[in-house]
Amino acid sequence: MISINQLTFTYGDGTFRLRIPQLTLESGRSAVIVGPSGSGKTTLLNLIAGILTGSGGELRVGNTDVHRLNGNERRLFRLRNVGMVFQDFQLIDYLSVFDNVLLPCRIHPSVSVTKELRERASSLLDSVELASFERRSVTQLSQGERQRVAICRALLLSPRIVLADEPTGNLDPVNAERIVRLLLSETAHSGATLIMVTHDHSLVPHFDLVIPFDQFLERTPGEQKHHNLGGGAT
Amino acid sequence: MKNALYLAWKSLLWHRGRSVTILLSLAITIWLPVTVRLVLDQFRHEISERANATPLVLGAKGSRIDLALHALYFDTLPPADTTMAEVESINHLSPTNVAAIAIPLYVRYRTQSRPGIEGSVIVGTSPEYFEFRRLNIADGQMAALPGECVVGCNVAMRMQLHPGDSILSAPRNAFNLAGDYPLKMKIVGVLTQSHSPDDDAVFTDVRTTWIIDGIGHGHQELNTQTDSQLLLKNSTETRSVTANASVLPYTEITADNIDSFHFHGDPASFPLTAIIVVPETNKARTQILGRYSSSQATAQCLKPPEVIDELLSIVFRIEQLAWVCSIAAGIVTCLLLGLVVNLSMRLRAAEMQTMFRLGCSHMTIAKLHSSEIVLLLCAASVLAGAAALLTLRFPASVLRSLLF
Repeated sequence: MISINQLTFTYGDGTFRLRIPQLTLESGRSAVIVGPSGSGKTTLLNLIAGILTGSGGELRVGNTDVHRLNGNERRLFRLRNVGMVFQDFQLIDYLSVFDNVLLPCRIHPSVSVTKELRERASSLLDSVELASFERRSVTQLSQGERQRVAICRALLLSPRIVLADEPTGNLDPVNAERIVRLLLSETAHSGATLIMVTHDHSLVPHFDLVIPFDQFLERTPGEQKHHNLGGGAT
Repeated sequence: MKNALYLAWKSLLWHRGRSVTILLSLAITIWLPVTVRLVLDQFRHEISERANATPLVLGAKGSRIDLALHALYFDTLPPADTTMAEVESINHLSPTNVAAIAIPLYVRYRTQSRPGIEGSVIVGTSPEYFEFRRLNIADGQMAALPGECVVGCNVAMRMQLHPGDSILSAPRNAFNLAGDYPLKMKIVGVLTQSHSPDDDAVFTDVRTTWIIDGIGHGHQELNTQTDSQLLLKNSTETRSVTANASVLPYTEITADNIDSFHFHGDPASFPLTAIIVVPETNKARTQILGRYSSSQATAQCLKPPEVIDELLSIVFRIEQLAWVCSIAAGIVTCLLLGLVVNLSMRLRAAEMQTMFRLGCSHMTIAKLHSSEIVLLLCAASVLAGAAALLTLRFPASVLRSLLF
């Protein structure tokens, strides 16, 4: 279960603050975050993943208060529990499609590349119709294909939480639908919690919970001038 | 570490141009000092080995280094000649027994070059030389008569020579009509390989080299019955004849004309470029060294190991210079490598950020970078080692000719 209580995060120079009073998501459920650009959706995913730490409040994943962990513990927490699909894929150019999917094993301190994991990687690629692309360089793929590789990478180690930041942003409606179904079926199969950020309202009905994200970002008191949010927050 | 090495390998393959450039820079930086060290060690070993195997060298006064290098490697000519008188003197050191063996060397001429093949040095010596240097015949037999020669294995291989073939000496000056004529020598044997300068030489009797030199010669028989067309003066009273320039000089010593070959002058005054002296006892050695140590002595006698040690001290200085250059090159390469790694890390910041966001530790990221450097260093070491081994295949004579 993911539970948030009075979670706050202050951006850069302190002009803006993200404040989420209360949010609860049961294990194995799926949630979709919808909201305008710059409303703090990606920031929330980064907070849940432990990439960013809040300035106040509580964020618990199961029994773990993520923000009470130190940097190394948060990294291990992320490695063991979270699968991430980034907005810009963030694939490694010098690795093949197959090696990109296997990357979490190669950087994991206690997981080695076993035959089972290779078969799982192949199976995941097969499910997104990229089985014949295994040996190709990711630089030879289209945007949509790259996105599918990134999803396979996130799902490889069957994480407890899958955080997907606009995974369908570069896909046509048919492929977007297919990706969402894949994410939902894989997370449902492994009992993982899925949180996805999207602008595509047509995908919202697939999810158990919708989190409208348009009232959590606020200007900090005393700040009069208009400021841009800058990179990183959507 | 296996995973870090795998990712590093993939990264190096992907960035081929950068990897090859760094690899070559590192390989050259490693190769240079290693090769200098190995080549100089080999050179030191080879040059010392031959010097240590040569007890004493006798020759005209002048440069000790030139004389030693000449006697050992037939390289440089000593400034002046010594004479056969010194050989006789050494051989008769003791009236009762053989106290020392003097091996004459007359090394002044080369064989004629062929297109693309340089002529070889002609060493005029005595049969004792072969015994002293432990040179054996691989094919044919030892030279016994004037005009016969045996060739070193490299000469035979280079010029495709076999026993029964002939080889011509090269005149020192082709435009001097009164000078030495080329002598056609018959090859009677090929020596076994000795991995020494002997492999690149043509050996003949010292008398043959005097014939090349013009001290000895053969020509049409001249006596009172000789065709008067050839004679300028024919005195039956004094039984002396003087021939004109039409007399045919022989340029090849054969069974038919060998009897016509003769030498003019006192054999004791015939020139030699050096003499290798092999004393039988320490007493004889001391006696010989003492004889030639005085300022009145007509020749000098030197101990080749000592002279070679002097030479090697020069080599040591060159080695030190090479080391300083190598260290400077190494520092520059390391600095450039540091710069390349630094720039590479900046270029790959996004990739490292991805790794971090996936849960990769800073230690693992450091391992990735260090694995790349380790792989490059290993590959560069292997490459440098292979290049060093290839360089060692060059004979020490190449370095000797470069240094001296």
